[in-house]
Order: sequence, then structure tokens, then C-alpha cells
Amino acid sequence: MTDETVAPASPAPTPNQKVWDAPVRLVHWLLVFLVALSWWTAEEGDMQLHYWSGLTIVGLLVFRVYWGFAGPETARFSRFVKGPGAVLSYASKLFKPDYRASFGHNPLGALSVVAILLALIAQVGLGLFASDTDGLESGPLSPYVSYEFAKDAGDLHEDAFNILLILIGLHIAAIVFYLVIKRINLIGPMITGSRKAESVEGPASGIAPVPLWRFLIGVALAALVVFLIVWVPTTR
Amino acid sequence: MKIKLFAATAVLALGLAACGGETPAPEMPAPEASAAEAPAPEPAPAMASIGETPADPVAFMKTRHDNYEDLGKNFKVLLDNSKLGTPDMAAVSAAAAKVNEYAGQMGTWFPPGTGPEAGKTEAKANIWTERADFDAKLANFQAEAGKLVTATGTDAAAFKAQFGPTGGTCKACHDTYREEDKDK
Repeated sequence: MTDETVAPASPAPTPNQKVWDAPVRLVHWLLVFLVALSWWTAEEGDMQLHYWSGLTIVGLLVFRVYWGFAGPETARFSRFVKGPGAVLSYASKLFKPDYRASFGHNPLGALSVVAILLALIAQVGLGLFASDTDGLESGPLSPYVSYEFAKDAGDLHEDAFNILLILIGLHIAAIVFYLVIKRINLIGPMITGSRKAESVEGPASGIAPVPLWRFLIGVALAALVVFLIVWVPTTR
Repeated sequence: MKIKLFAATAVLALGLAACGGETPAPEMPAPEASAAEAPAPEPAPAMASIGETPADPVAFMKTRHDNYEDLGKNFKVLLDNSKLGTPDMAAVSAAAAKVNEYAGQMGTWFPPGTGPEAGKTEAKANIWTERADFDAKLANFQAEAGKLVTATGTDAAAFKAQFGPTGGTCKACHDTYREEDKDK
């Protein structure tokens, strides 16, 4: 008897809060895949695939930076990049009973987002100009720089990847921390876009939709930049 | 130091990404034709003939290193031009001639006593223990370097077709006889 009363057929479902739109999630997972692919192709010496993998990352970064100004609330830099005060305040509340998960990036995690974006931009920026010591392989913009510059860019491209690896390691460690210690699953929302709206900040309904044309402009912009990087050097 | 450079690059790269592809064309430096004319390190002044250990192996190895770097520099001229619709054939011919010149000398660049036992070098010890194979690979490079000179004297299409095969013979040797990443 008691069973029937405590287990009703359908408990009122916890409303879902939409936190990440499809473009943000897609860019995230494509970056995961392409950074891994770039690493692997560099180790294997498959420079043709490395070249295109890197150029695709360039396109994704152009889009993501644009989306940081044109995308929904949780994608915008102005919304999630906070000063040291907010970061410290967030960190101090992390273990308090009234802790509430942030709507989108928390102030501390925002630092990680910005650092990874900058590291990726530097990484592809160096790769575009890089050449190997033999003058056998080079990035698309390498013809514009001297052998010495291109070689240094290539060496730095290789060394700086370690910085990216450290940042990715910290990013994963933070996700594990939230999952194990705070019992907050951050991976699910990055896949589905939504999280259970229990004790979180922000509007219950989550992010508002963004008009399709804004997304299409971003895609066109990214494609244009990649096209120009590939095409302009062939017309010198 | 590296971090600072890295940050500077990041800012630079951000600027590049932010203003998109509209800027590249105007302020870019002229094509890298100068690389081939740049004062090259002395082309193997004190190179002993194969078989004799040079009097100063470290100086000898330094010259070898500089020669390889100049070879790379000339190869970049070829690589850059191979990507162009209309390559600068004068620059390409000069670079190919230089590559061919180095190819001709290279057999004398690895006398005994100039391997890793003698000092800092990317040359692996198996150059001296597998000499016949090393020499065969070098002969391939020399043949393809010669063809490159012929091709650059012909036309752009011939040059572009020959660039890959010549580069391939460089790589073939590096894969077996050169240490990875020690020259930074």
C-alpha cells in the first residue's frame, strides 16, 4: 500500500534549464576531436591531414570568437569573463552550503575557457607561419616570412603545444572535481545542452534562442577566413 | 621567456583572427627570392674527403650543420614557390642549383669521427655502420636534385612535378639517419 503512495506513476519532472546552444557544443566537441587529430598527425608526420585539421580549427576559432559577441547569453564573453573579485568570491563560496551552480561558465571556469581559446589561437597562429628545418613542410602563410622566422615559429608551435596540454589537463581535472566532489555533472549538459534546473542560477528556461541568420553569418565568416588563408598566398 | 613570446604571439594571432583575411595582401613582404642570394655559409671549406677524420671535428660538424640549414633555406624558396600559381622561376632555378651543389658535396660531409660521439649533432651513428645504404640514399637525392635543376630550367609545371620527388629523397634519409628534434 505504501508503495503505491510513494511511487506515483509520474513524479513532476524537474524542469530542464537550457545552458549551451548547439553551436557552442558542436565547436567544443569538434575542437576535442581536431586537437587530438592534430596531435596524432603531427606525431605520425601526416602533415597533409595536420594542415587541414589545423585550418579547420582556425575556422572554428573564428566562429567561436564571433559567437562570443553574437551568440546566446552563455556564449558571450561579456557575460562570463569576470574580474578577480568575482573569481575569488566564487571560489570562496565553492564549499559553502548555499553554493549554487552558475548559469553557463562560472567565473573560475571562464579563466580556463579564455586561456584555452588564447592558447589555441596562438597555436594555430604559429602553425600558419611555421616551416620545418628542411623547408619541406610549411603552413599556408609561411611564404610570407623568412626561413629563420618560419623555423622558429615551427619550433615554438611544437613547444607551445605543451602549454595547451597543461590547460586541457586542468580543464579535465576541474570537470572531475565537480563530478566527484561537488556531484555536478558538467559533461552531460555539454552533450545535451540542458541540465536539471535545481539550485542553479539564471532563468529557469535557460538561454533564449538566437536567430539563424546570426549563426549563418558566423559560419560564412569562418569559411571566408579559412578560404582567404589558403587562397591569398597562391596569388602572390 | 617562452611564455612571454607565447603571449605576444597569442595577441598577434588574435588580431589576425579578429580582422579576418582582409588585411594580408598589402603589407606582406616581397616573395622570398632573397633567401637564395643571402650570403650562404662557406660551402664546405674544410671538408675532408671521406675516410679521414677532420683535424677539428667540432668545427667541421658546425659547418655541416650550417650547410644543412642553408640547404633548408633554399628548399623553402622552392617550397614557397611550388605553392604559387606563377612561381618565380629565377629564384627557383637559383635555389635548385644551390641544392644540387650541396647534394654533390654531401658525400664528403660524413667522414669518420664526426658522429654523435664527437659532439652535438643530429647525425645518427648508423650513418657510419650502414654506409652502403646511406650512400645509396644519397645517390637518390643527387639524382633527384639533378632532375630538379633540369625541371626548373624547363617550366613551372615541370618544377612543381619534380619538387615532391626531390623532397621525398631528403625525407627518406632523414627518417633513418637523423635524430629527431635536437637542434633547438
